[in-house]
Formats: sequence, C-alpha cells, structure tokens
Amino acid sequence: MDRLDVRQTVYQVIMVTVVAVVVGAVASLAAIAFVEAVLLMNDYLLVSPYARIQAEDRHLLVVAATIAVPASGGLIVGLIVRWFVRERRALAPPDVILAAQTQRSGPGFRSGLASTLAALVSLGSGASVGQYGPLVYLGAMFGNLAGHLKLKLRHQRSIAIACGVAAAIATAFNAPIAGLVFAHEVILRHYSLRAFAPVTVASATGYIIANVIFDRPALFLVSFGHVEHSYEFVFFALEGVLSAGLACGFMWLLRASTTAAGRFPVPQWLKPASAGLVLGLVALWIPEVLGIGQETLRFATIEGAFGIGELALIIIAKLVLTALCIGFGFVGGVFSPALLVGILFGAFYGLVLPYLLPLPYSGLEVYAICGMMALASSVIGAPLTTILIVFELTRSYDLTIAAMVAVVFSNLISYRVIGRSLFDLQLRARGFDLSLGRDKAILETHPVRDYCSQAYTTAYLDEDLGTVRQRLVDDDRAEAMVLTREGKFRGVVRLQKLVDGRADAPLDAMIVAGATQFGDDTTVWQSMEMLRGFLGEAVPLIGGDGRLIGVVPEEAVIRAYLEIVHDLREEENEAA
Amino acid sequence: MKRLSVWMILVGAVLVLPGALFADERVLTVATWGGAYEASQRAAYFEPFTEQTGIEVRTVVYNGGLQVLREHLATGEVEWDVIDMIQSDASAACDEGLLETISPAILATAPDGTPPEEDFMAGAIDPCFITQIVFSTVIAYDDRAFPGVKPRTVADFFDLETFPGKRALRRAPVGMLEWALLSLSVPREQLYDLLSTRRGLELAFRRLDEIRDEIVWWTGGDESVALLTSGQVAMATGYNGRFFDAQVREGVPISVIWDGQLIGFNSWAIPRGTDQKAMAEQFIGFATRTENMASQANRISYGPTRRSARQRIGLHVETRVPMLPHMPTAPDHMDNAVIRDHRWYSQTVRLRDQWFREWLERNGDAGPDGSR
Repeated sequence: MDRLDVRQTVYQVIMVTVVAVVVGAVASLAAIAFVEAVLLMNDYLLVSPYARIQAEDRHLLVVAATIAVPASGGLIVGLIVRWFVRERRALAPPDVILAAQTQRSGPGFRSGLASTLAALVSLGSGASVGQYGPLVYLGAMFGNLAGHLKLKLRHQRSIAIACGVAAAIATAFNAPIAGLVFAHEVILRHYSLRAFAPVTVASATGYIIANVIFDRPALFLVSFGHVEHSYEFVFFALEGVLSAGLACGFMWLLRASTTAAGRFPVPQWLKPASAGLVLGLVALWIPEVLGIGQETLRFATIEGAFGIGELALIIIAKLVLTALCIGFGFVGGVFSPALLVGILFGAFYGLVLPYLLPLPYSGLEVYAICGMMALASSVIGAPLTTILIVFELTRSYDLTIAAMVAVVFSNLISYRVIGRSLFDLQLRARGFDLSLGRDKAILETHPVRDYCSQAYTTAYLDEDLGTVRQRLVDDDRAEAMVLTREGKFRGVVRLQKLVDGRADAPLDAMIVAGATQFGDDTTVWQSMEMLRGFLGEAVPLIGGDGRLIGVVPEEAVIRAYLEIVHDLREEENEAA
Repeated sequence: MKRLSVWMILVGAVLVLPGALFADERVLTVATWGGAYEASQRAAYFEPFTEQTGIEVRTVVYNGGLQVLREHLATGEVEWDVIDMIQSDASAACDEGLLETISPAILATAPDGTPPEEDFMAGAIDPCFITQIVFSTVIAYDDRAFPGVKPRTVADFFDLETFPGKRALRRAPVGMLEWALLSLSVPREQLYDLLSTRRGLELAFRRLDEIRDEIVWWTGGDESVALLTSGQVAMATGYNGRFFDAQVREGVPISVIWDGQLIGFNSWAIPRGTDQKAMAEQFIGFATRTENMASQANRISYGPTRRSARQRIGLHVETRVPMLPHMPTAPDHMDNAVIRDHRWYSQTVRLRDQWFREWLERNGDAGPDGSR
C-alpha cells in the first residue's frame, strides 16, 4: 500500500465513523423527541388510559374526546398530506428501501418533515397505526441528508440511510443489535462489512443516547424461566403457521381498505377524518383499539387479563381498524399494530390450546411472545430482527429459541403466499420487484436505453435490395434498420437473406418476421430476458412514437448486466 | 320564653368567651397519625416547640383521606390548625380548596446556609403544603409464622399455599392495587398505566379475591403492627417506621419485605378556616428545621425531605441501632420500589373508593368504614 492509499483509507475510516456517529445521534434524538411528543399528545388529548382515568369524573368529556380527537386528528393529517407532502401520500419504509437501493432522488426533506408531522398527529390523536414506520423514515431522512454531503465515500447514501434507520430502531426498541440487523435485513438487503461497520456504530450511538436520556419501560418485560416440555416446540411451529395466516389476512385487509378508500366518494383529504370518526365510535365500546396500545400489550402476557372471546373480539377490531386507518390515509406504520395483534393472537392461542390438547404447558407468556414475533416478522419481512428483539428485550435464551421457531415457520408460509413483506408488496406495486432478490430489482431500474448506440445501418423502405446490400457491405455490417421516409421503424433486414436476392427486388419482403425490439422503457432485466434465442448483432430501440432511437448491441446488454451486477456484488462484499 | 333564651345566650357567651380568648390561645391542634410515629413527632417537634414558644400541642387522630377533613371543615368550627397529610391527599385537598396557602418564607435555611428551595427535594415546597418525610408502605411478616422458608416478594403475600395465614391489609384502596399487579409480575414502571384501565382494576381486584377470605382489615397505622405482633395475622401491610419501632425498640420478631415497597410522602398542611394560621405556620417552620427533622429521623425510620437533615441521620436515640439501613431509601431497598404516583392518586380518589366499595359489597361486606 503506498502513501496515497494509506491516506485514502484513513480518510475513509474516519469519515465513515463520523458520519455514522452524527447520523446515529441525530436520528436517535429525533426518535426520542418523536416518541415523547406522541406520549405527551396522548396524555393531553385523553387518548392514554392514564389521562382518561384522571378525567373520569367528567365522563362526557372523555366520550367527546374519544370521538372528536381521532376525527379531528384525521382532518389535520389529511390537510398536511394534501398541502405539504409533494407525493400526497404517507412516506414510509418502502420509500426508504427504494432510496437505499437505487440512485433515484426520492422524496425531499420537506415532504419527509411533513409526513413525519402527519405521523405525529396520527399517533398523537390515537389512530390505530404504528410508530416504527415513521421512525424508520425519520432516521432515513437524516441519513439521506448526510448521504448528499460531498465526502467522496463509496455508497455513501445507502450507508448513511442505513445508519439513520439502525439508530432509530435501536433507540425505539432499546435494542442495538436488532437495529443493526433491521437496517441490513430490510433496508440494505446485504451484509457487507463496509456498511456493517458504520451501521453498527450508528446503532450503538442510538442505544447509548437512549440509555442516557430516554427512560422508558421496555416494550415488553417478561419473566420467563424456560420451555418445560420439548413437545411445545411443535406448538410454537404450528403457532407460526397460524400467525402467517393472520399476517396474510392483515395484508389482504390493508389492500382491500386501500382499494375501498379509492372508491370512497369524498375528497382525499377528508378520508383520514372519516376513518378517525369510525375509530372513535368503536373505541367507546372497545377502548383497546385506540393508539399504540402499550397497556393491552402488557395485559396479553398476564394470565387472566383477557377471556378468550374478548381476545378474539379485540384481535378482529384492531386488525380491521388498523387497515381502515392506514387505507384511509392516516400516516403511520404497521409494525406496532402487528406486534399488538400478534401478542393478542399468541395469548389467544395459548388460552385455547389447553382445551384442544390437555397437556401441561409452560404458561401463557411464551405463546404470547411467539405470536407477536411470528406475525410481526411476516408483515415487515424481518425474521432476524424480530428474533433479536426478543433476545435483547428479554435476555432469555429459551424464549428466543421458542420465538425463533414460530418466526421461521411463519415466514416460510407467508413468503410463499404473499412474498417477503408488506413493504416488498408495496414496492412491487410501484414496479420495484424484490421478490427475486436485489439483482432483478436493480436491473429493472436501469433502462437499456442508457446503453443505446447510434452505430447502425439505415435502409429505407422504398430503396431496392441491391442498394441496401451494397451499403451493408460498405459498412461492414450484417443488419440494416428499415425505416419509412418519415423515419418510422419498419423492421430489420439481414445480409444473409439479401445475398442471393435480385438487386431490384423490393425490400419489404426481406424484413425478418418477429425480430426482437426494445421499447423506450425496456429495462436491462427485460432486455436480458428478451435476448433469449436472439441471433442478430443489435436490437433496435423504438420510441413511443414508433421512431427508431438507436440500437442496442448484444454485447452492450451483456456489458450492462455485468456492470450492474458487478457493482452490486462489490457493494455486498466490500470490506470497511 | 324569648327573653330567657337571650339571657341564656348572653350568659353562655360570658362563660365561653374567656376560654376561647385566653385558655385556647396557647394550644395548637395537630391532626396526625398516632402511635410510634406520633411519639417521634412529639419528641422531635411538639415538646421542643412548646419549650421554645410556650404553645401547647394537642393532637387528634387522623388516618388519611379527604372525607374526614371535608367533614371537619363542614362543621364550620375548625379546630385543627395543622394536618399531617399524604402528599397526594394534600394535593387533592388543595384543588378542592380545603387548605390555606403557606408562605415559603417560613422555612428556615439549612445550618450551612443552603436556602430551603435547594435543600428540600424537588416538589416538596408547594403553595398548599410542605412535604416533610419519605415513608414507605411495606409488607411485613411474623417470623414465628414461617419457621422454614421466609416470604421474600410481593407475590408471596398472595401465595396462600406456600405461606398460609391471615393477611392484614389497610381498609382503603391504597397500595393493594399496586401489590396485586406487582404480584402478577407487572413491571413497576407500568403499574399506574395498567391501573388506569378498567381491565387493570378488574385484574387487581380479582387477584385480591384470591386472598379475600384471609384478609383482616386495619385502619390506623398502629393496628397493623398490633395485629402482627399479637400473632393474629401472619403478614401485614403497614408503615415501615412503625414496623421498625416494633422490631427494634420492642424486639418483636417481625421482618420487612422491601420488595414492592410503596414510597410516599407526608406533608404539613393548614386546614382552611383555622383562626390560628400564624401559629400553624410558626409550627411548620419549626418542625421543618434541619435539626428537628434529623431528630425525628433518629427516632423512627422515615426519611427527611431535606438533604441537610439526611446528612445528620445517625444512630437511634434509644437503641443505638444505625438508622440509615432502615430507611425506605436505603439503596438495597430500592430495587423494586414503587414511587406512589401522586397525580394519579389525587385524581382517582373517587374512582378508587367506588371500585373498592363495590368490591367489598360484592363480597358481602358493608363497605369501607371510617377508614379514610
């Protein structure tokens, strides 16, 4: 290594560390502020039980707040999204994945801030949505800012985004390893050391800050001894399978709700308010549907807190209302509701099981936690992260193994049925398909147009065969692009066919039938697929108006493929 | 007839007035909690106060709650000049307008010159009350009742199988709900969030149902100690200072379970309408002096809210037992200590009472008596 290399390496390491620490600290502080603001609003707006019980003497006030707060929150959210988010929709983890995976510029900082504000109002006014999605976006937003600094670091943007996300998750869950793995598993989709090192630093920074200034009880605290009977692992696996079914149902409901919202005949900005009104009315009857439901989450691990029927009712209500809130435009995530529904389903399973199979069990807690993680991991497509959350929050090896079994079976099923996660489903709907891995998705984002060449031989439809043949010989090519005099593309002729034809024969009959051609929007991935069985030299690229833009030589397609895949492999295998 | 009654009033007035003007003028009435606690107050505050000012201190028994204060003020003849209240009660009473305001100027500076607002713990100096001690409600058990394995946790209080025997519990919805949920391994940070829901309250009362048949109720702080020391119950909830007194001064074989101790604060307050407000303030100023607070802390294991007083905690004045390890705030007692949420308590008085009364009635009980 010469001196320049050493200096370059030192610069890289120091700079990457600084970026990681700064992004981690900022994302972590922002996450803390966000969570605290939500709690404050919940108290102030009589969403949290703690605030509601203190106003118990003024019963009418509580009733009025229950109906009015989510509805007016929805109205504000609708207006914020209408006026301040350029995309006019909630910005969420799929946008983060897209930003980290591609070079596209993504939503701007102002849109991001507005979306975060809308999420704050949604959560603050008790909408049945999650807080982790907005937190991930918040972290990514600051990462994206750092990604645009001119620091000349390789893959700076995607790594900085991952740092922000990891810090936000590490802070929110107080689980640094989970934060680290989440950023890789869900956002980056690879584990290269170059990314791994800064993301770890950012995650640890978030954890340290959270420990110093953020004093909140962990998401769940359970005191679990150990799984007492080995046959229970079969039940955990079965629970995972059933949870996958519920996860699929949840995602189906989300889609159905979005479709229904599209058909709902009110202006877009009024839709969240209508969902809020329904939520408030249901909350009068089932208060558990309001907000994130920390209390409900805790009760689910306590034997005797719920009856079986109650659990079923709350599970259904929470599923439907979460789908309603998100489909109708409240801004927020799906992870917290999935955790809540999952833990309730786990408790339900744990309560029903003894009736079906009268065997000794290790108690309700382990089934509740398994259900929680199995369902949530299927929804966000993060099995490793959820397993690690259990481990970091409970420090119980037994509980983690049990949850692992449930999570793995759940993901196995849900992957087959609906794909890796809700995020990937949403991305696929936007034309970014990660179901076959990063290669396909990234190749799909590169248009083959970028590899277009103008080195081709033109033939006009009214020219005779001999002229064209001579021109091909002069150009040293075997193919000519046939155009009308107006410049419209008509087809391809090949020298092989022209060789023994009469010189005055019309060109029309010589055009190769069904020859491969690319469109303006053909991607590198599609072009590779289309080249199957292709025998010529270059493929014509036709614009939307039927005019020839240029040709893409076979070699260029292969070069494009190799370059892109090489970049991906390099990114995935880089050392720090 | 009419003339006669007028005369009677006149005669009566002549007989009563001098008493009101002269005899009672030098008597301050303090409503406080009796027993060992009151004894420590008498030695540390009342007697030195009388010695210094010539004002006699008379006490009346007060066992917490707002209802008795409301009733007392409703009579129109306010006899209590000073009342020693749980901080949450004082805060609720203040909101209801049952208390006079207290000027913070009455508080003495610490001997080293630290101004009171820095010397007192945060939140202790309030317009309506001056918080003076940290006390704890704990579970104690009779060592003789459990010769083998000893109870160690709140959950053991609810475990009649392993630790059979009667349980003495205060007849008021204070502490019992927290312990019920703690025994179900609810983390202390979430107790009041969960107790804010209908489900949480139901869960707590269902847990109490499990020991319902073994409960012996107490109202005054000394009753709980008496029930335990006389062997009538195997475990009792009560105030840590009184258990300390029985254990250390009287040598009764009882032990305290610090797990799940419920930390609260007591405050001096002045009932609205007393005609001796100046004297009441004079007393509160005297009782909150560093050396007097330290003197009480060396008699009973309640922690003073002034730092300068805490620095003067030493050996018990009679038995020479070191006092610090018996304080609720001793480090190894704080592992699972619950700090009573005053805001929650003062805002849920009615609701808790109602739930408690309904629960008692459901179990064929007449409802809470004059415990509050």
